[in-house]
Amino acid sequence: MKTLALGAVALLALLLAIVLGPAHVALADLATSDIVRSLRLPRAMLAFLVGGALALSGTGLQALVRNPLADPSLLGISGGAGLGAVVAIALHVTNPWTIPLAAFAGALGAMALVYRLGVMGRGGAGLDAATLLLAGVAVGAFAAAVTTAIVSLSDAAQLRNAQLWLWGGLSGASWQTVGLMCAYAPIPILALLASARSLDLLALGEEPARHLGVDVPPLKRRVYVAASLLTAAAVAVSGVIGFVGLVVPHAMRLLWGHRHRPLFPAAFVGGGALLALSDTAARVIVAPRELPVGIVTALVGVPVFVVLLRRWTTS
Amino acid sequence: MTDAVGRIVTLAVPAQRIVSLSPAGTELVFALGAGNRLVGRTTWCDYPPEARAVPSVGDGLSPNIEAVVARRPDLVLLYRSPLDQSAADHLSRLGIPAVVLEQDRLSQLGRAARLVGRLTGRDSAGDSLAAVLAGIVARPAPPAPVRLAFVVWDTPPVVIGGGSYLDELATLAGAVNVFHDLPGASASVALETIAVRDPDVIAMPRDSAGVDAGPPAFLRRPEWQVIRAVRERRVVYLVGSLFGRPTPRAELAIAELERLLKDAKP
Repeated sequence: MKTLALGAVALLALLLAIVLGPAHVALADLATSDIVRSLRLPRAMLAFLVGGALALSGTGLQALVRNPLADPSLLGISGGAGLGAVVAIALHVTNPWTIPLAAFAGALGAMALVYRLGVMGRGGAGLDAATLLLAGVAVGAFAAAVTTAIVSLSDAAQLRNAQLWLWGGLSGASWQTVGLMCAYAPIPILALLASARSLDLLALGEEPARHLGVDVPPLKRRVYVAASLLTAAAVAVSGVIGFVGLVVPHAMRLLWGHRHRPLFPAAFVGGGALLALSDTAARVIVAPRELPVGIVTALVGVPVFVVLLRRWTTS
Repeated sequence: MTDAVGRIVTLAVPAQRIVSLSPAGTELVFALGAGNRLVGRTTWCDYPPEARAVPSVGDGLSPNIEAVVARRPDLVLLYRSPLDQSAADHLSRLGIPAVVLEQDRLSQLGRAARLVGRLTGRDSAGDSLAAVLAGIVARPAPPAPVRLAFVVWDTPPVVIGGGSYLDELATLAGAVNVFHDLPGASASVALETIAVRDPDVIAMPRDSAGVDAGPPAFLRRPEWQVIRAVRERRVVYLVGSLFGRPTPRAELAIAELERLLKDAKP
């Protein structure tokens, strides 16, 4: 029943994203309109894929560090991506794919650095949850500082727009970006799905999980790398979109419980639906202007975050 | 005399050592014939070429008070922004006369010209420049057959709205900014909004370094091809030093825009 309801919400979100927009397209023209075919349809699909990827990534990370406040953007990945994008803009590149690729490279760099620091904790025995979070925050802050330094020291007027790129949202959506996500995302998604049972056991604690036959260090590495790869791709095609990866996993856990086999698919569909709806709102609410989609997700996400924080600190 | 934010400034003698913290202020001082009294400028001040010879005091966005004071100015010209206004108050407390100029629109430039003319003892130059500018603004706009969109950034698409100098220029050059109805200087819009407003020509401001760099990469991206002007490659580039701010060369900017639009028009 609730699976059916979630599916219906997701379909409705996609439908609204295609029907609504600042430009008026008559219902009869939906099938033939260039605006629908080249702009709204790929944008709706990209929103769904990115939202799903972020929610899935958040679910995996929360299970990994066993901390309800874990979120893909806390792990320094967004900061690394931003640095990559700013460097690409500063170098005046002319290839349309350079900025996303540089953002992706920056995200991977940050991920590798955080991972290295995470492994160094506890004598290199394995990834330590607390060290990983702290390393993520530190690397993210450092990357943000370098980014700001480059932006403020540069003479190029273009760079003042680099921050806009980071908040760029889904305006760069095309069939090419959708194709890229479709080709890239399945591998990390499958890696997470395959870890569902082990993550359930890890929730009991590292020691009990080991006694129940879970090889903990490789599990943590796999989940961390898969979640980071998903986030890196999401940032590369859509900039930094907060709170989807934080809020959706919690909402889905309330409905589907803590078992990851059903939770992962639910989080993916729920995240996709939330971002598709948020992006439609971002395009329509202040039309003909457009809000950054990250603002819409934060407006929904922050109140939920506060409730979670209260519940977490009082229990 | 009162500046753009109501600060009262009096000088016993015309200013002899001027620091200008905006490119528009720097150009104005040169246009009034007081360029040889400039002792400080921003890194952005690229016109007239002689301005390059004046020492820079930084980017001016968040004025470096120490660098300004070190030039021992008897007049500082600032741009109207919150950071500049607090810098102006700071300078006044140090006993350095500071004036905030508003020159975001052509219609505001005349007032700034009069004010700077008085403060530099070039009253008649300031008044005649103001009169010329008033004449340009008051001129009846030619009919507007060309529909134009100014695109300043691609992800997300940012366009120039009605509350801007470029919008004024478009009207005076016989074009209509398809985003004239947006009240601000600029706004972020969806690509489909640009597509349905269907401009004949897209104009993109560029800094002087990038003018000959060829079309920007994003114009080749598939999602931009929904816009007719992009498909038909009707894109013109505007040099920042001429089009980026209201200047005494407004007449030249209008003629240049007219020429670019005539070449690009379908």
